[in-house]
Amino acid sequence: MAEPYLVVEHLTKVYERGHVVALKDVSFEVQKGEFLVIIGLSGSGKSTLLRCINRLIEPTKGRIFIDGVEITKLSPRQMRKFRRKIGMIFQHFNLIKRATVMTNVLTGRLGYNPTWMTLLGIFPRSDRELALKNLERVGLLEKAYVRADELSGGQQQRVGIARALMQEPELLLADEPVSALDPATSHSVMQYIEQMNREDGVTVLASLHFLSLARRYGTRIIALKDGELVFDGAPEEIDDRKFKEIYGEEAEEVEIR
Amino acid sequence: MLSGYPEAYLKERPRWMSLDAVADFFYFGFRNLRKYLSIVLLDMGAIGILWLLMNYVIIRLSTGRIGYALVPWWVFGLGVVEAAALWESFGRSFGHRVARVELRRTDGGEPTATQRILHWLLWHVSVLPIFPLLFIPSPHERVSGLELRPFTMEGRTPKPWWRTSTGIYVAWLTGVALLAAISVTVSWEDLVRLFTKAGTTAKFWRSFFSPDTSIILKTIRDLIVTVFMAMTATSFAVLVAVPLSFLAARNLMRGVVGRLIYTVIRGMMSIIRSIEPVVWAIFFLVWVRVDLTPFAGVLALFVHSVSDLTKLYAERLESIDPGLIEAIAATGANRLQILRYAVIPQIVNPYISFTLYRWDINIRMATVVGVVGGGGIGQALFFYLTGNLWRQAGTVMLFIIALVWAIDYLSARLRAKLA
Ligand SMILES: Nc1ncnc2c1ncn2[C@@H]1O[C@H](COP(=O)(O)OP(=O)(O)OP(=O)(O)O)[C@@H](O)[C@H]1O
Ligand SMILES: [Mg+2]
Repeated sequence: MAEPYLVVEHLTKVYERGHVVALKDVSFEVQKGEFLVIIGLSGSGKSTLLRCINRLIEPTKGRIFIDGVEITKLSPRQMRKFRRKIGMIFQHFNLIKRATVMTNVLTGRLGYNPTWMTLLGIFPRSDRELALKNLERVGLLEKAYVRADELSGGQQQRVGIARALMQEPELLLADEPVSALDPATSHSVMQYIEQMNREDGVTVLASLHFLSLARRYGTRIIALKDGELVFDGAPEEIDDRKFKEIYGEEAEEVEIR
Repeated sequence: MLSGYPEAYLKERPRWMSLDAVADFFYFGFRNLRKYLSIVLLDMGAIGILWLLMNYVIIRLSTGRIGYALVPWWVFGLGVVEAAALWESFGRSFGHRVARVELRRTDGGEPTATQRILHWLLWHVSVLPIFPLLFIPSPHERVSGLELRPFTMEGRTPKPWWRTSTGIYVAWLTGVALLAAISVTVSWEDLVRLFTKAGTTAKFWRSFFSPDTSIILKTIRDLIVTVFMAMTATSFAVLVAVPLSFLAARNLMRGVVGRLIYTVIRGMMSIIRSIEPVVWAIFFLVWVRVDLTPFAGVLALFVHSVSDLTKLYAERLESIDPGLIEAIAATGANRLQILRYAVIPQIVNPYISFTLYRWDINIRMATVVGVVGGGGIGQALFFYLTGNLWRQAGTVMLFIIALVWAIDYLSARLRAKLA
């Protein structure tokens, strides 16, 4: 097997001097081009895990390698540089509400441009063209100069995807990208993410609430329970018994189509 | 307290002689200290205030004089401490409620009478001399098998307020305080005068409502000066308050040094704000001795505006959405870029809105500040009022009302646009 793209070793995260242990000794590997889905109950540590991978949250213990680089060792400055290769999308989209879609998408290029230019709001022509291209790709070209808060939830998430695309990422972290959307819109958003994965070869780590979505889009699934890794395998391997183990005895599986 | 640690982390806790262990000792120790001390101080304060007020009312109503102590001060002190100990051991005290905790057995059950008595007795050797609080758990909790736990309503029916000790306390305190307040500020003779003297002041009222047209031009000039005073003060205040607000926002000032700066600035601002602009104006009049120019008034408004705006701005900064900061940081942006694209878009409109609001306040304040000689229309008003020139005073007041109303309307409209 090839060298894994992402390696997480004994990752532990303790919040606030021992009050909450969000991750307990989590280890796993991800190959390049995989679509890894993270499932688990609310509070099981999915968001924490994803944010440790681009170090928006500092891990308490453990090591993380991306493409052979030990990112847990990088200085803040080096980490900022490294983050350009890691796109991220969020449950609540996290767009600049008062700014246009175009500005929002262009923020994906902040790491590539000199600070003084970006502070004045100047982006090179090539970036603007790339922005329009990416907006076209997510089907929002005609919304380019509309304020972000005038869009629907699904459209806002697509802007989030376009922003991530601007980084020309190798890795995409998606924290519950469709939890705030209705089923039909969820699928359309998930398909854009799938397209990034298939066509651009972006490795994807996505946390999802619905197992049916995880089965449909994931090439592999890991499950967290109270911060511990309780499952790591192919989507088909999750049977009734495994399901109850992850979600607890009373849980019922719901379909989302 | 340590139960949250993972097994491995627990085993690797620092050795006794290490610096980490010392740090842990102080960290947990002082957290413990803060926990108990805040509750004890709240309870003693609550009981002490009620006790003093009751004495006050009793003395006032029985002798008409002002006094606080029916007992020697040391008796009062001991009584308050003892009452707090009893309240905390046998009920859910005021302090417990504020801290949202309650006394339970370590296994979560209802404390027995023996345990409560034990808790109360040991409270004296453990909470009073404060130092033992550095032990975790502190002796009175360890021996009695009780502890303060976060209070939850899970599986209970709420008691009506009059069945809870704190409810009764608050009701009692409100009643006594009201009684004390009325007994000091209102007398029967005053009330009688209020309702019988209306006729004799009729001349005063009449002249008040017949404006003197000859002073209109001068009044308008004063009015403009007043508006300018407010504008100068507000503009310079914004220049100072915007940078200060970043240092006074809790979420931005992390770490020991950050917290210190935050605390110092917030503290200073609340002290400055608690002194009224009129008082500042008097202070600056004495300081700069600029007789009859608006400079002292402007300074007074400026100082007060800085502290007020800093607080308003900082509170807005504290409530910005951290999600956007995460999102921009995730693109590889640096601090300045995060400021420009994640923080500023969330604060510009509220900042402008607060500034307009403050300008509006400053115009009203400017008239008050003028009264002590700070310049502008307030000074004219003061001059007429003290000279018994009722007609002129009435004219000036009409203009002030018109100005305040107009500015109020304007700034409300502008702010509605920004929202
Ligand atoms: N900043 C924080 N400080 C302290 N504890 C935190 C913080 N963020 C998260 N936690 C705690 O860490 C645990 C894991 O949280 P996390 O947000 O990673 O879970 P999640 O699986 O993403 O849940 P959800 O599905 O609700 O988003 C939770 O118990 C949570 O309370
Ligand atoms: Mg989450």
